[in-house]
Amino acid sequence: MNNLLIKLTPAQWCTNSHIRTLLVMGGATMIAVLVAIVMIISFGVPVSEALEAFADGAWGSPYAIGASINRSLVFALVGIGFVLANRARLTNVGGEGQIAIGGIAATAMSLYGGCENLPYGLAYIVPMLCAALAGGVWGAIPGWLKARLGTNEVISTLLLSFIAIWLLYWCVQSVDLLRQPMTSGGTLPESLTIPETTQLPLLWPDSGLGIHLGLAITLVLGVVVAAVISRTRFGFSLRAVGYNPQAAKRAGVAITWTMVAALAIAGALGGLGGAIMLQGDQYSLKAGFSSGYGFDGLVVGLLARNSITGVFVAALLFGFMRSGGINMEMVAQIPAALVLVVQAIVILILAGSALWLSRKGEKV
Amino acid sequence: MADQQDLPVPALSLQGIDKFFGTFQALANVTLSLFPGEVHCLLGENGAGKSTLCNVIFGVHQPDSGIMFRAGEAYKPSKPHDALTAGIAMVHQHFSLVDNASVLDNLLLGQSRGWIDYGQQQRRIENTLQGLGLSLDLQAKISALSVGERQRVEIVKCLLRDPSVLILDEPTAVLLPAEISALLTVCKRVADLGCAVVLVTHKLAEIQRIASRATVLQSGRVVMESAQPAQEIDSLVRAMIERPGQVNMPALTPVASIPQARRYALSDEVLQLNGLTVRDALGVTRLDNCTMVVNRGEIVAIAGVEGNGQSELGAVLAGMMPVSDGQVYVAGQEVTGASPQQITRAGVGIVPEDRHAVGCITDMSLTENLLLNHMNHYSRYGFLQRRKMRDQAQALVARFDIRAASIDVPFGGLSGGNQQKAVLARELTLESLVLLVAAQPTRGLDVGAVAAVYRHIQEARDRGVGVLLISSELDEVLAVADRVVVFYRGKIMGTSLCGQHDRRAIGAWMAGQAA
Repeated sequence: MNNLLIKLTPAQWCTNSHIRTLLVMGGATMIAVLVAIVMIISFGVPVSEALEAFADGAWGSPYAIGASINRSLVFALVGIGFVLANRARLTNVGGEGQIAIGGIAATAMSLYGGCENLPYGLAYIVPMLCAALAGGVWGAIPGWLKARLGTNEVISTLLLSFIAIWLLYWCVQSVDLLRQPMTSGGTLPESLTIPETTQLPLLWPDSGLGIHLGLAITLVLGVVVAAVISRTRFGFSLRAVGYNPQAAKRAGVAITWTMVAALAIAGALGGLGGAIMLQGDQYSLKAGFSSGYGFDGLVVGLLARNSITGVFVAALLFGFMRSGGINMEMVAQIPAALVLVVQAIVILILAGSALWLSRKGEKV
Repeated sequence: MADQQDLPVPALSLQGIDKFFGTFQALANVTLSLFPGEVHCLLGENGAGKSTLCNVIFGVHQPDSGIMFRAGEAYKPSKPHDALTAGIAMVHQHFSLVDNASVLDNLLLGQSRGWIDYGQQQRRIENTLQGLGLSLDLQAKISALSVGERQRVEIVKCLLRDPSVLILDEPTAVLLPAEISALLTVCKRVADLGCAVVLVTHKLAEIQRIASRATVLQSGRVVMESAQPAQEIDSLVRAMIERPGQVNMPALTPVASIPQARRYALSDEVLQLNGLTVRDALGVTRLDNCTMVVNRGEIVAIAGVEGNGQSELGAVLAGMMPVSDGQVYVAGQEVTGASPQQITRAGVGIVPEDRHAVGCITDMSLTENLLLNHMNHYSRYGFLQRRKMRDQAQALVARFDIRAASIDVPFGGLSGGNQQKAVLARELTLESLVLLVAAQPTRGLDVGAVAAVYRHIQEARDRGVGVLLISSELDEVLAVADRVVVFYRGKIMGTSLCGQHDRRAIGAWMAGQAA
């Protein structure tokens, strides 16, 4: 990217779509940060203290950086799935539920699926695969409903999300399902901690970064999906179905299968995101497990404007902001919700500028 | 002009109306008078300007030049509301009814303000209905009504405004025969009450039955006016479909004048329709027991006034519409109700009637569109072979003379002629091509592109491909086809052989008369 910046004249910056996207994103973030500073002042907290807390939490230590990156993985996975489904003009709003379903599946497999003693890393791989499968089924249902009955997938993925979230709640409330055995009145409504063998190994165990295998998995999947989208016949079919289903049907594309597959893959990536959250940092399933990450992932996908690179950039941005916000709340007593406000402003500015540029007959 | 003094004051008269959409002239110097008490049929093929004319009268479009008079006063509607206020009502092809509301509510919609006295309104509506000899269940929900009944609601909605001009835009296109008959009766009765009724149609039987006058539009011009349409059906048909300036299409004449030597035995059937019957979603019979064959190396044209089952035949053969009865065989293999993919595999190339909706994906590149339905040849292990695609696209662009800045430009940026050449290129290069179904392949193309399209079709025929050409351009059809089959109301009316084409007979068949 640096090379590109040097090679192009300022006039070209504005016409090169990658750079323009970055410029717009950067500008939006700056405006949002200014608004945040105004709000911090109105809370009566010294700005320097708040920002220091934010920076500490986001990138102040190797551990903080690792935590921010780990956090961004889920956003990235949901975002990648969103971009893929969006190629077929399908909008997957169900990331939240797909994460929850993935979390349930991964927990169940890790604790009770007999994965604990599997060799060669299968102990953590099998739960992840099952989570992806479960999320895939959860995504395939709206795909099938859309292809066969014309049900709007925005609504069906969202409604299935609510079902999944309450299913997770039920799982952690009932000892017959995933709740840990009740030993006292104080036993929390959450699952047992999963066995160590089912937890994701760290990539650089001695560095203190705490970044786990999920990063490698996410990067590989990002590259794979980018290749699928641009270089395979399936990616071609996705675009054909998205642009003109009638013509795609005439050309022999199996519309139903393509739609089901697109949303199933998006769902599988969401489910995998749930497994990575569980097996990578949380280690036990709690109510509120998905904590809005699915919706943030959706926004990441939207902001990325159909580019997998864009997904990674936006996911990192969101990951660092989340981490910083949490620390700001703990240290400087500023509600972490401030970060959500900043995110919302970023989204509004980006969406607005996209609309503005498309009105001018261009694309961001 | 002299006899116009004997006529009453026109309810509406148009003088020298021009209407442009961009550079396209939709109406050219249209002059037309509508008199109280007449049913005036407006005829013309698709794109002849009928709907534009109606929309100009109804205030949806404003003319670029020309003037209109309503009952002797200047009339310049800037929106449909102005037309309604002036006593001009229109029933559109697509209904504007609220499905979940009752008939009564729909009838009162937009016609009442503030307090609604349902009892009084209902009596008023019932009076109107009685005057027309119509019956309607006012409490029924629209969603429970048949298409014919819904249309009746639309008409009554218009009549409640007591209009002096009532425009019906292709009202019979969606109706069953019995409903058509009832509608025509209503039209007659409305006219008898002193209203000028404009009926847009291209069905000749209807004209024969109720038209008091008829006007034929072609390319936005009035090409014929008839005061006794029932007696002049033949000339009306000819005026609708003949292109005076294009009878001798220079590009087509030389090819057509070469005698067609038959290179293949008649038994080489590539397409066989056996009692093919198609009913649409509403149960209307669109194709009625059609039996015909297309042989190797011949061009068989389906001619007819539009809306007589040609579109449905094209859709069925493309695998985009279900068959109700009968069988379809391609080269001896049954493909009745087969999927588009199976049909492609059976060796049928399809040039669809609606290029933009079915034939191409305008947002994808020229290359991708050129290879759309043979992607299986351009992928290995699921990965696209971009270089192979590019080479093939380049070859097709050269061979079919497709003019584009590059093979990667979006398809939507190409001109209509080049788009159609690309669609043809794709369909004609199918691996096992035995049959080409080309529906309205020259619609909207300029003369040069038309010639190119037919040259490619004829080349395919000479290679031994059977061609089914569905076209409403009679002159083109007569110039290139070896046989012409005429459709009327989904039935085959007659077949004309090359060299023996009798325009009069074909015209009669198109009008639904056995010759």
